[in-house]
Amino acid sequence: MILQTPILALLLAAALSNAVALWTAWFGLRVLRGWDIASGSRAQLRLERRTGLASTLFGFVMLIQIAALLLFVFNADRMATLFVGAMCAVGTLNVNAYGFPALYLKIAVFFAASLWLILDRVDRQGRDYPLTRLKFSGALLIAPLVLTGAGTELAFFLGLKTDVITSCCSKMFTPANDGIAAEMTGTAPATALWFLGLAGVAVAATGTVSLAAARLQWLFALAGGVFFAAALTAIVSVISLYVYDHPNHHCPFCLLQREYGYVGYALYVPLFAGTALAMGAGLLSLFAGTGSLATVLPGALRRLVWASLICHGLFGAVVLSVIATSRLVLFG
Amino acid sequence: MSGRAPLPRATRRLRLVLALFGAGLAALALEAAHARLSRPAAELRMAASAELVRAAGLTDLALFTEARHSRNPALADLHTAFQDAPMSFGHFPSGSFAPRPAAGFGKGTLGFDADEVRR
Amino acid sequence: MTPGLRRQRALAEYTLAAMARRRGKNIGLVAVYAAVVFFVASAMLFSAALRREAAIVLSEAPELVVQNLLMGRHELMPGAAVETLAGIRGVAGAQGRLWGYFYDRVNGANYTLMVPFDPALIPPAGAAIFGEAIPRTRDHPWLGAPLFLSRHPGDLVRFNAAGQLTAAQGLVSSDLILIGEADFRAFFGLPPEVYTDIAVTIRNPREIDTIVQKAEALLPDARFVTRDEILRTYQKIFSWREGILVALAGASILAFAIFAAEKASGLSADEAREIGILKAIGWDMRDVIAMKLWEGGLVSVGAFLAGTVAAYLHVFAFGAALFAPVLKGWSVIYPDFPLAPEIDGIEMTALFFLTVLPYLAATLVPIWRIASADPDQVMR
Repeated sequence: MILQTPILALLLAAALSNAVALWTAWFGLRVLRGWDIASGSRAQLRLERRTGLASTLFGFVMLIQIAALLLFVFNADRMATLFVGAMCAVGTLNVNAYGFPALYLKIAVFFAASLWLILDRVDRQGRDYPLTRLKFSGALLIAPLVLTGAGTELAFFLGLKTDVITSCCSKMFTPANDGIAAEMTGTAPATALWFLGLAGVAVAATGTVSLAAARLQWLFALAGGVFFAAALTAIVSVISLYVYDHPNHHCPFCLLQREYGYVGYALYVPLFAGTALAMGAGLLSLFAGTGSLATVLPGALRRLVWASLICHGLFGAVVLSVIATSRLVLFG
Repeated sequence: MSGRAPLPRATRRLRLVLALFGAGLAALALEAAHARLSRPAAELRMAASAELVRAAGLTDLALFTEARHSRNPALADLHTAFQDAPMSFGHFPSGSFAPRPAAGFGKGTLGFDADEVRR
Repeated sequence: MTPGLRRQRALAEYTLAAMARRRGKNIGLVAVYAAVVFFVASAMLFSAALRREAAIVLSEAPELVVQNLLMGRHELMPGAAVETLAGIRGVAGAQGRLWGYFYDRVNGANYTLMVPFDPALIPPAGAAIFGEAIPRTRDHPWLGAPLFLSRHPGDLVRFNAAGQLTAAQGLVSSDLILIGEADFRAFFGLPPEVYTDIAVTIRNPREIDTIVQKAEALLPDARFVTRDEILRTYQKIFSWREGILVALAGASILAFAIFAAEKASGLSADEAREIGILKAIGWDMRDVIAMKLWEGGLVSVGAFLAGTVAAYLHVFAFGAALFAPVLKGWSVIYPDFPLAPEIDGIEMTALFFLTVLPYLAATLVPIWRIASADPDQVMR
């Protein structure tokens, strides 16, 4: 099954990412050992010259990883026709034991990559590269994640046999099962919507406060994280019902299909971007006191919070329009 | 506007290249629009084919008519060579040495040239 | 204009000026690169269109086809099995299908003779409805000319034209000859009460699996092909074909990437000196990298755009003329069918990954050598 164009593309991206991640990690070790911005030694000069390249390459890979997540999900959805009983990406991912781990690792890499890119961007603006050590220890942590992700992905693709009987989303997202998916599905629609609404208010409030006070961004990040969980629960528990006009179809992956106007992408892209930006703002706020960043950081934080708020707003607008245009009446 | 200094060469070059990229993007967008606009007609045409498939009880595409495993891949004998891909490379290496006889299949003789087949 | 944007503009202008100094080489590079993209993109667009077409068109195929197997091969189906299958609960109807191949000595083509289900499509005795390719490959002098088929030397069977299927339906019907049941049995010398296979109509698609299980118990020698399996066969055939083409093209992409890496790492003395001078006059390492990124981006995105735009034209305006010989294989009849144009997001993303990434990587990686060297070392 490896001879499918999107799979070939994903494997190529994974191979490139692995190579760069390994090199960056190795380089990161040297930075951690020998980085001393005050020193004028030859070794330090060499390190300084190469950090630029290392960050560019690693940033490039992080961008690829973000795009690869989209391609991975899109491809899983598309391949569902090849397996017996699959209706959407869930069926494909369930073909063997590596499917969902591969997806979760890709999502983890997505968030790690977004945070790293935000750090990198700010670090470049500081004259003495104040975050370099942090950035490269981050790269050192992300590299194993990238490698494991690639390995799991490869195992998943190699294990894909067509005509295998797999399980459909309707069997996974049902309250009758155990596990977190079932918990999410089983949440009462009203509860899920209330929870989402409250989390939305919390995001808006903490966002406004952090914009006005120019601090407390970590609170905003926290609210963003809670909103993310609330949003995923709400999508599984109630928003999917509105999209499908069906009181029992809870799948969060069928949303990505053409029949439903690709509304899943309109939901997930702003949600994931908004969450990543909020977490980025929280992370950056930890360095508010760092010397050379004092001038750039407030501006960067403002922009991040704004961007995150806009993404959350977009998500909210899509949710509202889905509920408004649905023919399904759940309440009243 | 008169009195304006001519643009430096580098700027003009950049503008030209950006214009070329813009033209490329526009062409791609145009193609996407073309695909989108021709969709209703294509769907109508495919619906006509689907109707024929239903009315005649067809199971396969008439793309490769040379042999039964390629004319009806969905119904071909299990385990026939080529079964999973009619245009795949031959099962046997000899396949790459025996080209198609110029005069057609005739009685099914294969050979390297027309003379050989005739003999 | 913000300072960041102004810096990028300056870098782009500088990169272009540098590239213009080696104009011939860079134009050649983009042209070859675009040709590789064109090949991959054509393969992808073509097979994606075929996959879509097959999925839509064959969604009307019978829910279940039952074949008789004898010695591992497809055999005639006794008519009694029709009753057996129709009697299974959940089956809306079962109908024997009559179809067979005929090798035409005159032009070397294979036809598929078939008795259609729909009574409206069944021609009167002695007449036939022709697929689009049959008058074409038999050089019929006028539309509606009768078709003469010879089963062996000295034999001639005449079929009057009762109609003609359109080229728009060519993908499913170009080699079809639709005739009545009596004509079919007489033509092939087929005894009454046998069928090629049986098509089973099932009202509720959820019941297909259970019905197949029941039917397997009743007809242990038969092979059951569901509509889903038919659809999957086609999805697999075309994706696999596309994958093979892409993997083959992968070799040329790889060769191209090696060439690009060689060019970038072997950096001609000129280019090395250029970078040395830039660094000596105060360019930061990042500026050099950004310039190289601009160069790689301009080349690869330019080639990607040119190749993709041309591939769309090739596949949908010129009927994939370059692929037709490969597709036709040894068959005489090749349907003259239009394809539904479609640009697919996932395919485009995959194409971008496959063609642009290797080039960018190949040009970026070697820079670190010069990047980390001292200016005077490179200039020397």
